[in-house]
Amino acid sequence: MLKRDRWLTWIFVTPAVLLVAVLMYYPMIGTVIESLYSTSFINPTPKFVGLAVYKKIFASADFGQIVWNSCIWTLAVVVLQNVFGFLCALLLNQKLPGQGLMRSLILLPWVLPGVVAAILWRFMYDPQLGLINSFLISAGFGDQGLAWLADSSTAMAAVVIAAVWKGFPFATIVYLAALQNVEEEQMEAARIDGAGPVRRLWHVVLPSMKEVIAINFILTTILTFNYFDMIWVLTRGGPQNSTHIFPTKIYELGFGQFRFGEAAGYGVVSIVVLALLITLYFLTQRGGRRAVA
Amino acid sequence: MTPSRSSRLLLLALQLGLCLIILLPFFWMVSVSLKPAAEPFAIPARLWPENPTLDNYLTAFRPEFRTYFFNSVVVSLSTVVITVTLALFAAYSFTRTQMRLLSILMVLVIVAQMFPASAIIIPIYKMMKSANLLNTYTSLILAYVTVTLPVAIWMLRGFLARLPVALEEAAAIDGAGPFKIFFLIILPLCKPGIVATAVFVLIVTWQEFLFALSFTSTKEMRTLPVGMNDFIGQYGIRYGELMASSVLISVPVIAIFFLLQRQFVAGLTAGAVKG
Repeated sequence: MLKRDRWLTWIFVTPAVLLVAVLMYYPMIGTVIESLYSTSFINPTPKFVGLAVYKKIFASADFGQIVWNSCIWTLAVVVLQNVFGFLCALLLNQKLPGQGLMRSLILLPWVLPGVVAAILWRFMYDPQLGLINSFLISAGFGDQGLAWLADSSTAMAAVVIAAVWKGFPFATIVYLAALQNVEEEQMEAARIDGAGPVRRLWHVVLPSMKEVIAINFILTTILTFNYFDMIWVLTRGGPQNSTHIFPTKIYELGFGQFRFGEAAGYGVVSIVVLALLITLYFLTQRGGRRAVA
Repeated sequence: MTPSRSSRLLLLALQLGLCLIILLPFFWMVSVSLKPAAEPFAIPARLWPENPTLDNYLTAFRPEFRTYFFNSVVVSLSTVVITVTLALFAAYSFTRTQMRLLSILMVLVIVAQMFPASAIIIPIYKMMKSANLLNTYTSLILAYVTVTLPVAIWMLRGFLARLPVALEEAAAIDGAGPFKIFFLIILPLCKPGIVATAVFVLIVTWQEFLFALSFTSTKEMRTLPVGMNDFIGQYGIRYGELMASSVLISVPVIAIFFLLQRQFVAGLTAGAVKG
């Protein structure tokens, strides 16, 4: 936009800014206020209770479990998605036959609607009818199927694997684009100096992709921490809370049990966690810019 | 230095393995959807359907499913059009006008997408309820436009920032007004960015679950993801029909994705890599 047309700037940005302010930031304040009131199915009229909700949340055994689950879930999904995604990007950067087709196919799980992916994996994990147990049994691992999702010792691993399958293609595509930006001259120089593939990866490729990797790690951390669909459809947070994370717990408390105050309390805690992650994201990005400049 | 024959074979085998990891669940979804009613219950599960049939598709395409499908199309298409339009205007202003307040606003808008929808779902639900908007397209479109705007602005900003301002200045010297410049110069030049953004918004909206689950309680207003979730209960373990519905839901997005893939991936990675 040219200087003489400056007056249009505010008309152009107002709708977007207004929507985000009214439907995202204002409700965040709403969540904080909501958490200071107590409501339940029996007492639907909100009653001001101050910080009592937080005392109740922090004292409950559920809270510790949910913090623990959220950490495990986020850490496992993020690390696996990025490591596996990066390895696949390396593989798809080798100029092998069929590479073009692979680059098209790889995003399929990511495009598949989340609820459909979850239903598909629910079926894959089915104790009797599922593909996974059928495969394990015919490969000779026992003669009885495991109920992966119904057993609190395997449920978390099962939801993590489903989420990694759905999400790793995105990391692959981002890393593939970054790999193609690695300077050919530097690679050539390293090759002439006698560096093998592993040393070239460690000393040339990884340093030049540092910022992209850091930013992608933080972005997937944010997305995974907030991810609701997969766990809700696969396990609803069960069995015995073993897969409950913040988003599923908030939904269950609010819409399942009408304990809006407690749900909002969990909401505020997750907003604080996200605020910290977002700060980290900006610090990393700024660091990246400085390194480039 | 070309890699040796054996290491190339190993890489090819790995690539085949990756292909299997990606495609096997899809293959199974389609296979089960083609099995006659009793076949999915054969133990151990068979990968191929013995007697393929389209019966499951005929039963899956029931009136409720058609309603959900229609709702999803209305909500998704409206969201794509509104989001891309608003985002284009906003991103254009954000990249062309340098002002401290404006850049603060832009950061606030882009950051908004990173906060969890679940953390604000209760206040938004109450707002929609008091505005009498529950069980309407309006409530879903409003929510979807708001959650997709930040990403859309972020993606389009990358494209707009790369367009040289000199073009606009030249047009202005030739007497073009701001709207003529926007529609005749900017718009055609960022077509690839617009396509990439539209596909992204469509993929996100087509599968949105949390808002649809909270804002719609009547069968007439549910969208496909929420309808699918209901089917798990209703169909019991009629996996054939469940998988047939899954295929029907996935085909539209996958088709659009493949048609526009090249532009989509370019647009997505331009934003993600350049930051």
